Formats: sequence, structure tokens, C-alpha cells
Amino acid sequence: MPTFDFLPLLWWGLPFVAAPVIIHLINLLRHRKVPWAAMEFLLASQRKYRTQVLLKQLLLLLLRVAAVLGIVLALAQPRWKSALGRMLGGARTEHVVLLDDSYSMGDLSAEGRLGDTRCFDRGRLVVERICTELAAVQGQQEVAIGRFSAFDEKGSAAVDRPAGTAVEAQAAQQGFDIRLQPVTPRLVQEVRDDLAGRSPSAVASGPRGAVAAAAGVLGGGTGAANVIWLISDFRFKDWKAADETAGLLRQLSDAGCEVRLVDCAAEGGDGRQPGNLTVERLEMAGGVPATGVLVPLEVAVRNNTDRPVRDVAVELREDALGRPGVRIAEIPAGGVGTQRFDVRFTKSGPHLVEATIPADAVAADNTRTMAVDVVDRVDVLLIDGDPTGGGRAGDAFYVATALAPGAGAPTGLRPRIEPPRSLATLDLASFDCIWLLDVERLDPPEVAALEAYARAGGGVVFFTGPRTKAEVVNRMLHRGGDGLFPVPLAGPVDLLPDAAGAAAAPDVVVEEHPVVAVLSGQRNPLLDAVRIERSMAVERGFEPAATSGLRRLLSLRSGGPLVVERPYGDGMVVAVLSTAAPTWNNWARGNPSWVVVMLELESHLARTRRRAESLEVGEPVSVRLDAAVDEIEVDIAVPPDGTLVHQTAEASPAGGLEATLAETSVAGGYTARWRRLDGTERERLFAVNVAADEGQLERIGRERLDRVLAGVAFKYDRAESLEPDTTTLAGVPLVKPLLYLLAAVLILEQVLAYSASYHAAPRRKSVA
Amino acid sequence: MTPGSRRYLHPEAIARIARLELRARAVVEGVLAGLHKSPYKGQSVEFLQHREYVRGDDLRRVDWKVWGRQDRFYVKEFEEETNLRVTLVVDGSASMNYASGPLGKYDYAATLAASLAWLALSHGDAVGCSVFDDKIRASVPPRTKRSHLASVVEVLETPRTGRPTAFMPVLRSLAETLPRRGLVMVISDLLGDRDGVFQGMQLLRKRGHDLVLLHVMDDDELDFPFEGPTRFEGLELPDALACNPRSLRAGYLAAVEAFLADVRTRAAAVRCDYSLIRTGEPVDAALVKFLARRASMAV
Repeated sequence: MPTFDFLPLLWWGLPFVAAPVIIHLINLLRHRKVPWAAMEFLLASQRKYRTQVLLKQLLLLLLRVAAVLGIVLALAQPRWKSALGRMLGGARTEHVVLLDDSYSMGDLSAEGRLGDTRCFDRGRLVVERICTELAAVQGQQEVAIGRFSAFDEKGSAAVDRPAGTAVEAQAAQQGFDIRLQPVTPRLVQEVRDDLAGRSPSAVASGPRGAVAAAAGVLGGGTGAANVIWLISDFRFKDWKAADETAGLLRQLSDAGCEVRLVDCAAEGGDGRQPGNLTVERLEMAGGVPATGVLVPLEVAVRNNTDRPVRDVAVELREDALGRPGVRIAEIPAGGVGTQRFDVRFTKSGPHLVEATIPADAVAADNTRTMAVDVVDRVDVLLIDGDPTGGGRAGDAFYVATALAPGAGAPTGLRPRIEPPRSLATLDLASFDCIWLLDVERLDPPEVAALEAYARAGGGVVFFTGPRTKAEVVNRMLHRGGDGLFPVPLAGPVDLLPDAAGAAAAPDVVVEEHPVVAVLSGQRNPLLDAVRIERSMAVERGFEPAATSGLRRLLSLRSGGPLVVERPYGDGMVVAVLSTAAPTWNNWARGNPSWVVVMLELESHLARTRRRAESLEVGEPVSVRLDAAVDEIEVDIAVPPDGTLVHQTAEASPAGGLEATLAETSVAGGYTARWRRLDGTERERLFAVNVAADEGQLERIGRERLDRVLAGVAFKYDRAESLEPDTTTLAGVPLVKPLLYLLAAVLILEQVLAYSASYHAAPRRKSVA
Repeated sequence: MTPGSRRYLHPEAIARIARLELRARAVVEGVLAGLHKSPYKGQSVEFLQHREYVRGDDLRRVDWKVWGRQDRFYVKEFEEETNLRVTLVVDGSASMNYASGPLGKYDYAATLAASLAWLALSHGDAVGCSVFDDKIRASVPPRTKRSHLASVVEVLETPRTGRPTAFMPVLRSLAETLPRRGLVMVISDLLGDRDGVFQGMQLLRKRGHDLVLLHVMDDDELDFPFEGPTRFEGLELPDALACNPRSLRAGYLAAVEAFLADVRTRAAAVRCDYSLIRTGEPVDAALVKFLARRASMAV
């Protein structure tokens, strides 16, 4: 459908199209009268040529009408919009400009080295340029501008298909910085001002959400022409499996929407990107987050380049105060380098540990934080199955001693020995881990409480022994695999002495597992000294389900399991098929490996409960409150400057109260503070980090993009060579072809008029 | 004909001369200046009889030999000798009224006729003249007197009635009334009863007359140069036609071409000396061309 730059001229000019007809009619009324003698010849000619003359006159008239029409159309500056969907749309074109502001757009690399212009800056200039060009285009151009980060979650949930109605399209515009409106010089200035204050976000949002939101805006039944602009760095990780995005773009393309992709990433000078390292992980590597205890932390740095990187310095900060850093000797190309370090927290409460690597192409992923909630002591519940308490020879004594050896070797753990019935009465959630030591039986409420604890992420350890009844364990705790206990028991069996005597293989075989990693490898003299006399055999013929996650930590020389684990809900359950006290074995008697393995086991089981503290940018920060003890008003200090955001807790779908900061847009530590009903203050720290994979700067490239977007009619431009092609935006100008056509019509008219007119020059044509 | 006379004898120049006689003189003197030595030389008479002298007779014509023998005055009377009796038959019908220039077809024909009469009288030939439409409207018999030109002009200037042409009765009437053989020159546009023209001329031919047909047509009728919406109204026919003349021109010219070809053919059939004369052509030039062609035919 053609559109017109100067539509009013068309309306003013159209009446002139009737001019040739009117002139013709006037001429018919203004006949010159000629008294004529030779009428017989004239009448003869008229009889002979009547039809031809009429046709010729009609054709001449049509040509003149066409010529006037052509002039009027040429003055109105027509343009052609090709898509069928624009048949009803007139001259309006809707542009949705989507600017990638994921943190990889902060990439400073240019021509193989670090420059001073980010991808985002190039993208921002592209947006400004598009708007400027659109403002200069005649005809109504409308634009909506949005950033990827605004649709990170909302976009995906909002619309997955082009809107069917204008109302839907209007609703889909939520999240756009500039909602769909005509492009004017004022709007261009507004866009320029808005973009000047923006930087790449800390989120790793891909294009899907933004494209889905754009699909909602476009095709709102207005019939206008549509153009979608994707201004991004087109990283491989965003586009390698972008089936949904490609599907949305295909839908838009099929609906006649023009798809323009503008690549803002800089070209590598020698084809190699400057190094971008990402602090991929910062977490506790075991240990107990308690005051005065050495807590092992591990930092992992990913090398996202195609060459190894050596001697990477990692700067560490603890609660904003610098502390000695660490160095990673070498990180292979595309690999991860890790380094452990110990931190001793002197005060209880939340602490923020921060690891930073030197500046590189992308700054956002150079820092990672970790929140550690340090307590004075971590309570560990020991359920002692010995009704007499056992004294210094009981299981509880040996486990408690291993977990809390004494003041000389602080572990931060505080074992609490309780009888089995306390499982139903204690708040199990306050314990870091629960150990059940040769318990004869548990009542159903106690089993239920224990299962709820484990399902919620708690760690449970069972030790078996003389009081353990296989039948009871199988019926109450294993329940055919549905219960807590990892394996069904057959009963106690003796481990027969090895025929080879003392030089024979040790009784305990170390399996591949982090808890016993310290004992693996070469023959360990400490473990060799462990003698297992009796253990609880697993039911013969037991074959765990492939999905059960059952895993051995230690095995017996005979091939039977000694220590096994199995996930249960969000938690983990470990079963030691022998006694803790040196009743059936001598492991706890003076063997240091006993203490080590018990502490590792405790850390391993508690890790699940400590893991949830790290959030990704964009995820909400939620503080669960107890209505019985907490007030509902929560202040959340948002990094980097600690701006306080006030939240009121509301009932959460999961039950209880929850105060939620819905959007986290900046990486760092978020501190939530609230009061308890007793007037004391509570504080909780959340570490919010960028998604590590966004730091992978590998670009998808044009060829792979063609494959991913197969079936999508798109135009790909580099930001620096982008020609917004305003003629295309506004439609193909028809003035030139129209003028050619007009010239042809005029020539034809002249030829026809000449053939139908008298010309005095060729005298010989006349008679005589 | 001198270049000067040609210049001054354009139809426009001729038209400015109000009186037909003067127009004819202007034309002929221009013609004679190139064609003749003197029209007054070589005049001869044939003796007819003697008669007695009466007062007023020219003394030069007294036969002095008879007076010497009989002492009585007798004058010699000579029979007037003429080589030719020219009858000019000029079409004065309505169709001759068309004029694209200063001289209409009839004016042109009249000028041509008067010029021919002057020439003939200058040669001592007898000249008669008739103007007709559907019948003879005015006529003068052939005379040789030079003063007869005034009578001829008077006939040519007879007011016309605007009637259509009817050749046959007119030419039949002429054939019956002309007493002696002579040259009959018909000057017409031949629009009208074409069969009648040649049937009538056939009659004249049978009576022994030499026939000349001067076909006068206006330039417009031959070229049809009209443009723009035009309503053509018949001068003789009652028809009218509103049209764009450009579109009909080709057909019109073809029809005229066919008409002229027919006229030439039929004129040749009755051994008529036919000439087509355009009104845009200077009268003297047309006259010279005609006389030159006649002279060549005589040889």
C-alpha cells in the first residue's frame, strides 16, 4: 500500500485529476462554428473513423487524466509499503527498539585490546541514531524503546505471541522505557537524555523476554507497518539455543514485521578477544560458620578466553575491609581455577566476603560476594539410643567429642545430646545437623518430625549398633525406599578376619566422595588402622533405584557398604552401618581420621542448608518472618550505597509471613533488618551476584545466527556501519518510478495527440 | 511576370483592390508583361460591304477610290474577325462562399474570370460570361469590344442568392443558347451534382465547344488544417458535424483525394482541359500556369 509524505497535497491535488475531463466537456460546449462547403468528404470520413476516433479520444483523455494524476502523486511523495498487513495501515510504522543491557554489554574490548567504549555505548548511539533518523522521516513513525533487563522475568511471563488486539498491545507495553508514541524531535531529546543516564545492568537477561514483549506491542491490530530492532552483542550463550526467541521472531517476520539485528560487539583485531575472567564461585568449602573458627572458603575463577591465564590475583574483602588476597597460579583456556583460603570470623552475625579480580573486558563479573551468617556456636543434635546415656563409652560421647574436641580445637559446633522422644518436641530447624546413634526405635511423630526436617534440607546421620533392629528400621525408617533410611537392613554380621593376616588389605575401603576425599588416594595409615568387627548388613538382593541417588562413602573389605548416603527431599541422610563407639569397631578409639571424617560429614550435611543464601541479580530478596516473634516491617539496605527500601511482610503462599524485595538490579550485599516483638533487632545478609555465564563473550557470529534464525527474514548490521535506511523505514519512495511513468504517459500522450492532430509543415501530405 | 508584380499580386494584395475590373487589370497586366509583346499588333479585318457615308463616320474609313470614280462618299464596312468566342461560366453557388483567406472561392473565381475576359478582349476575342447556381443568375453574350469587360464584370458582381449548385440545367441551357462554337470555361469548386457537371460538359462538347474546367478549391478544403472542437455547418448541404477535426483529417483528405481523382478522370473523358487551382495561389501565377499549359497544348 502506498503512503504519502505530503498527504494533504494529495487531497488538494486529486480534484485536478478531473481537469482534463472538465476541459474536454467545456470544449465540447465551445465548438468553433465553421460554414463548410466540402461536407460530403467530412461526413464520409466521420462515417469511416467514428469508432477509431472515439477510442483515440478516450485514450487521449485517459492519458491526460493519468498525467495529471501522476503529477499530483509525485508531489505527494508516495512510498510503497510492501507487506499485506499494511493494507489498512496507511503511513504509520511502529518500531520497537530493544537494547541489550545485560552486563556483557559492558564489554570494553575493541580490536583485540581494551578500549574505552562499551558495547552498550555503541548500542545507545544506535538507538539515538535510529530515533533521529525516524524523526526526519516523513510519515508517522512511532517508537517504543525497551531494555532486555526490564523483561528478564516479566517479558517471558507476559506475552508469548503477537498481541491480537490494541488493548493487549497497550498492556504489553509495561516495562518499556519509552512506550509506543510518535517520534518527534522532543522525543529524540528525551531518549537521548534517558539513555545518557543508563549503563549495562547486572542481569544476564537474554533476548527472549524482550522479544516476547515486543511481540505483544507489535501487531496490535492497528495495521501499521512493524519493525523490531534488536541491538545486542549477540553472544553465543544467549543464542546457541534460542529456539523460543527464533520462534517469536519467525512469527513476527511471517506477520510482515521487519526484523533488524544490530551487533554492537567490537570486532576482534586479530580474532582474539582480550581476556575476560569471571569470578564464578565464592563459597564455604566445609567448616562451620561460627566465631573463632577457621572457615575454609573457595573462590573459583573462570577463564573465558582461548588462552591460559597465569598468576591471577584475587583481592579479598571481609565486611568491606581488605584482607590478604590469594593468587591462582594458572587457569586453563575455557577452564576454571580455584583457590581455597581460610577466614576466621571474630564476631557473630552476618558477614560479607567479597572476592575481586583485576579489571578486564567486563567489569560486572570481576567481583563476587558471599554472605555468611556467623553464629557463636552451631547446635548439633545427637539422639542417643542408649537409655543409660552410655557415659564415656557411649556412641554420643565419641561423636560429640569428634564434633567438639575442646577449646584447643574450636569447631564452632555445640553438640546437644537428647533422647529419641525429644525429636517430637524440639525445634529441629534450629539444629545444623541431627545424628541418631544406635536408636532402638522411634515413634511415628518422631519419624515424621525427622522426615520433615530432612525434607526441608536438613542433614541426618544414622549410626547403627547392637540396639538397632533391622526389622524396625526397615518398617519405620526405610519403608521400602520411601523413608529416611537409605538401605534396608538384614541384621548384624561379623567381618571375618582376613586370611592374609595383618598384612592384608584394610577393613575399610574409601569410595569417591568429598567427605572422605581426605582419606582417598594412596594407602592411608590412619584408615589402615581401622578394624571393623561387626556391621549391619544390607538386605540381600537389595538393588537401589537408579534415581535414588544412593552413594557409598566407605565400604568394607568384604564388599559390603559401611557408610552410604541418599538424598531425601532437599536434605541428605547418611547411614553408618556400624557403631560410633568402639563397640563393633575401633575407629573412634584414638584414630584422628575419625574426627576428620565426622567434621567433614557434618559440613557436608549442613551445606544444603547454607547454600540458599546466594542469589542472582534479578531474583527477589525474601525474608521469612515468624508472626509470633517478628514484626512485619522490614528495611532492606540496597547496594551499593545502602539505600533503604521499606517492605511490609505479607502472607506467603507457602505459609507464614514474607517480606520481599521483588527486584534486585545490582550485585552486592543486601541487608534486611527488622525488629522482633521483644524489641531486639534482627539482621540478615543476602549476597546477590551476577550470573557467571554472562561473562562468556564468545559471539555467535553471522553464520551460526543464520542457522539459529532459519526462516526469519532479518537484516543484520554492525553498529558502526548501520545505515538506518530511512527510505526503507518509511517505505520505498515511488517518486522516481512515478516520474518515469509520468514521462512515458506524457510521451504517449504526445504521440497520440500528434497522430490525431494536423501539422502544417509536411505540405506534401495535403491533397494537390 | 516580374517579381514585383508577383509580390503585389498575392491574393491578399488583389483582395485590397475593391473593384473587380481593376483587379483583373492588375492581374492581366502583370501576366502580359511577361507573356506578350503587344496585344495591339497584327490586327486584321475582312471587307464586308460599302455603305454611304453618314455624319459621324470615321473619315479614315472613307473609301477614297470609290469617291474618285463616283464622287460619292462611301465608307468601307469590315466584318469583325475574331479567333475565339470565350464563354466564362462561373459558379456562384453557396459553396463558393467559403473563404479561408482574404479571397473567397467566388472572389477568386470572379477575379480569374475577369482576368481571362480582359486577356481575351485584349486579343480581340469575344467574351461572354454567365454566373449560375441552380440556374443562370446573370449573363452577357460574347462581345469583342474592349468595353465589354465592364459588362462581364457587372455580371460577375451580380448579387448571389446562396442557392446550391445544379450544373446540368445550367450547362444544358448554355449548350442550347450559345450560337457558335467557342471556348467554354467553367470555373467552379465542383461541389454538388458532380454527374451533372460532366453530363452538361458532354453536351457542350457535342456542340463542338472547346472546354476548360478551372477547379477552384480553398486551401482549407485541400489541407483541412482545423484544430480544436469544431462544428462544421454545410453551406449547401443541410448537415452539420461537431467533431475534433484532427481525428477526421486523414479520412477527409482521403475522400478529397478520391474526389479529385474522379474529377480528373471524368474531365479527361469529356476531353476537358482541367486545372485545379488553390485559392492560396496568386491569381496571376495560376493564370500564367494555365496559359502556359494551354500554349504548350496548342503547339
